[in-house]
Amino acid sequence: MKKQNIIFAALFASLVMPLSMAMAASSPILDEIKKQAGGVEFSAERGKTLFSQKFTGGKPDTPSCTSCHGKSPQNTGKTRAGKAIAPMAVSKSPERYTDAKKVAKWFRRNCRTVLGRECTPTEKGDFLTYMMSQ
Amino acid sequence: MKPDASTEKADCLTWSAKVEVWDIAVRLFHWSLVLLVATTAITGFLAAEWWLDYHVWAGYGIALLLMFRLAWGFVGSYYARFASFRFPFRVLLKHMREVVSGKGGQYLGHNPAGALMVFALIFVLLALVLSGLIGLGGQENQGMLAAFADYQSGVLALEIHDILSILLLGMIVAHLAGVVLESVLSKENLVRAMVTGRKKAEPGRLPHSFGKKRVVWRAPVVVALIGLIVGPAYWQLTNMPASGFVAMKNNPTWASECGDCHYAYHPSLLPRSSWDTVMSGLSDHFGEDASLDKDTQSEISAFLSKYSSEHWDSEAANELQKVDLKKPLEITASPYWKQRHEEIEPLVFKRKSIGSKGNCIACHTDAKSGHFADEKISIPE
Repeated sequence: MKKQNIIFAALFASLVMPLSMAMAASSPILDEIKKQAGGVEFSAERGKTLFSQKFTGGKPDTPSCTSCHGKSPQNTGKTRAGKAIAPMAVSKSPERYTDAKKVAKWFRRNCRTVLGRECTPTEKGDFLTYMMSQ
Repeated sequence: MKPDASTEKADCLTWSAKVEVWDIAVRLFHWSLVLLVATTAITGFLAAEWWLDYHVWAGYGIALLLMFRLAWGFVGSYYARFASFRFPFRVLLKHMREVVSGKGGQYLGHNPAGALMVFALIFVLLALVLSGLIGLGGQENQGMLAAFADYQSGVLALEIHDILSILLLGMIVAHLAGVVLESVLSKENLVRAMVTGRKKAEPGRLPHSFGKKRVVWRAPVVVALIGLIVGPAYWQLTNMPASGFVAMKNNPTWASECGDCHYAYHPSLLPRSSWDTVMSGLSDHFGEDASLDKDTQSEISAFLSKYSSEHWDSEAANELQKVDLKKPLEITASPYWKQRHEEIEPLVFKRKSIGSKGNCIACHTDAKSGHFADEKISIPE
């Protein structure tokens, strides 16, 4: 590697790294949900309960998030069709919760499948806060 | 040169001297054929589907051997030539009567019954090769005839292939019985004669001019000629696109949206009517909400309809479009799917590496292409 390239890489890293860390701390997706929830403080603890709790309103094969995602967000899950699901924890799957359309799609589908209804903004916020802390 | 090794002059033989009858090419042909036929029999009758590759390669090998033998029947040494064992029917009848009365050993080369068996074996083996190639091309969309054979011809050809293979087994038994019988009658081990090439010359069956010199240079020429014809033909034919497959442009939306939760089922695996029903019922998709926004849904719908099973002539498309009428959306409920998977224990599908019956790609390593070729099956532990 040329000397110039090393300098350039170092400059680039010193600029981009703090920026990306700041982005992780305040996700625009979470901010938007927070607005919808009326400024409620989200709780990772409540998110954890939501993730592991059993529901009866949804489809019979999937009473809980853990039915497919597994007991721990750190671990790989499996769809009912047998395909692996990347861990839900941001530390394990850093690309998660960065595409607003995708987040909306999966909350819509999976809340209906597991809870039998749409999730409230607070539930979504708690869930994301929990996954981002993991 | 030892006197008994001379094959060109009959008059310098002592009675009961051994003379060369089967030239080296005939012997190599015979034992290679034994090996390859055994390979095709084991892989065809006993082995699982994914041994198809070996069956096919052995089949190609048999085809090459037959081509050689046919040529050798015209240009080989005396006893290898068809003309030397083309007996009239009455001679065959006379020979059979003699065998029944316990007389044998008059012929140094093939006797009339043996000769008939040689012709019959060559004919049946050629028919097996041809029906196998049509079956391979039509049903599996592979091999030299993949571009020409349609699915239905392939199925028919394989039925004929099955019948011929049983017939061949019977003929092999008859051939072996004939060898034993003639060995006993002529008091000469004919199996060993096919190894050494030599048989006893006796009064009444004098050796014919053998033509040993010809063997030395003609055999390599014949082999080279066959190679020159077959090599390019094989390359040309196997590189033609299979007739059962259309050129499908991958649709990234379909691949990612469907592929998020399961193997993105190839559009050729269901008829259009089934895909339409699947796509209009995504809010309850096999017990889950898989709803999509309108644009995405119509894009995927259009893609699936464009390439539904009606547009293909593959094994999967032809058979899986016959859906279970009560469960027209479930590929794994179709009669063909069930029949082809009935020998697999339910526990196998539950393995961690597989997960469910619907995870085709766990075992069918070529599921993405829609081929589902027999030899691409690999059941993980």
